[in-house]
Amino acid sequence: MRFILACLLSLTFVCASDYIGTTVHGGDDFEAEFKSKNSENLFDPLSGYNEIMTGFNDKFYEYLLRPTAQGYAYVMPQMARNGVSNFFDNLFFPIRLVNNLLQLKFYNSLEETERFVLNSTMGILGFRDVAGEELNIKTHDEDLGQTLGYYGVGSGFHVVLPFFGPSNVRDIVGLTGDMWLNPITYMKGRGDANLVDNTGQGIAATAFYTINKTSLHVKEYDNFKKDAIELYPFLRNFYESRRDKLISE
Amino acid sequence: MKRIFALIMVTVLCSHALFAIEEQDIPAFMQNNIDTATSLLRDKKMQKDEKSAKLFAIFDSIFDYTLMSQLALGGKQWSSLTASKQAEFTKLFEMKLKISYMEKLDLYTDEKIVIKNLEKIKDTRIHLTTHLMKNSEVYEIIYKFYKDKNGSWMIYDVDILGVSIIQTYRTQFADILAKESFDSLLEKLKQPGDAMQKKQ
Repeated sequence: MRFILACLLSLTFVCASDYIGTTVHGGDDFEAEFKSKNSENLFDPLSGYNEIMTGFNDKFYEYLLRPTAQGYAYVMPQMARNGVSNFFDNLFFPIRLVNNLLQLKFYNSLEETERFVLNSTMGILGFRDVAGEELNIKTHDEDLGQTLGYYGVGSGFHVVLPFFGPSNVRDIVGLTGDMWLNPITYMKGRGDANLVDNTGQGIAATAFYTINKTSLHVKEYDNFKKDAIELYPFLRNFYESRRDKLISE
Repeated sequence: MKRIFALIMVTVLCSHALFAIEEQDIPAFMQNNIDTATSLLRDKKMQKDEKSAKLFAIFDSIFDYTLMSQLALGGKQWSSLTASKQAEFTKLFEMKLKISYMEKLDLYTDEKIVIKNLEKIKDTRIHLTTHLMKNSEVYEIIYKFYKDKNGSWMIYDVDILGVSIIQTYRTQFADILAKESFDSLLEKLKQPGDAMQKKQ
């Protein structure tokens, strides 16, 4: 009898704890949903450098990139800028295709190929996104950093790159790998990807791409940045959460 | 003995009966809120201040600002504060969220928001996934609800493109508090608010 009673009692305790767990709010229940990332247990060995680089990138944006982009936007109509943006996105097709394939996303790879064929021809060298506008075939943005994440590679610590902005160890490896798939790397008609020799034109093309892209999103970025109380942790958290989300998709 | 057994069984059953969930109203309720909000946003004649006042009237009934403040600060930090400090922080944080939202209103043109999915994570959590359509792009926004003590569903966090708003603030607050005092955090929270008031 005592044994049965003991069993029943333990059952009530189980139920009771279950009951407490689901109705008491603001307890550990909620805490577990958010990463308790404070500076003690977050592995951020480069935080000092990262903070300085974030400041540098921000100044670079404020005093050079934004004014340039705004000046450029003043002389280039939005339609043309959208076209340029589409053109570059179309150009980066190899990166997306290879990474979709690496992640075994065959249907997405097919859609990417359809987009590339349609936009390069009917969209006149990719200046118009015919596939997206007319046939509603959406792009599937994948890069090597996401592919590595997809196969379970951890992000490593956070690194803020000069000009490029927030990144981490995994994504830097990814960026380097993706360079071999980036047509801009092969400019000058070289067959080999001699990254050191044709950097001049490569950088010019990348700068043009960046200025054009920035010109389309100045308002959004400025508005987004206003939410920050501390810029470095704000951007770090945004970047890492966003990448995790992109990898899970 | 039988009596004890019966008593225990009754308690067990009753405690479970207490949290029988009726959340079928949430999608309709939120759809209604979203419709009201978007029609307010589309109203070009209305002044921005009036618009935001009306929008906040909707928000105030479904957002649990106190819990949001507590989560943004982290349980440990929160419980170490006096009640008056907690209240002060909650007020400032609510202001910060609202100002941030108001600034976003300027970017609104005529995006559509549709409810995609209602997912019950567990007994007291529901995630409502919505899609915001802008041009040809789709942005995913997830409203996270919990069931409060009174049994009504309240929002405690919003995920935009996979980025949790509460987590964003939590990381920043932790970073600030690792270097500075709680009072200087309060000061930092006040700054943009003052800037807004000066403008008006």
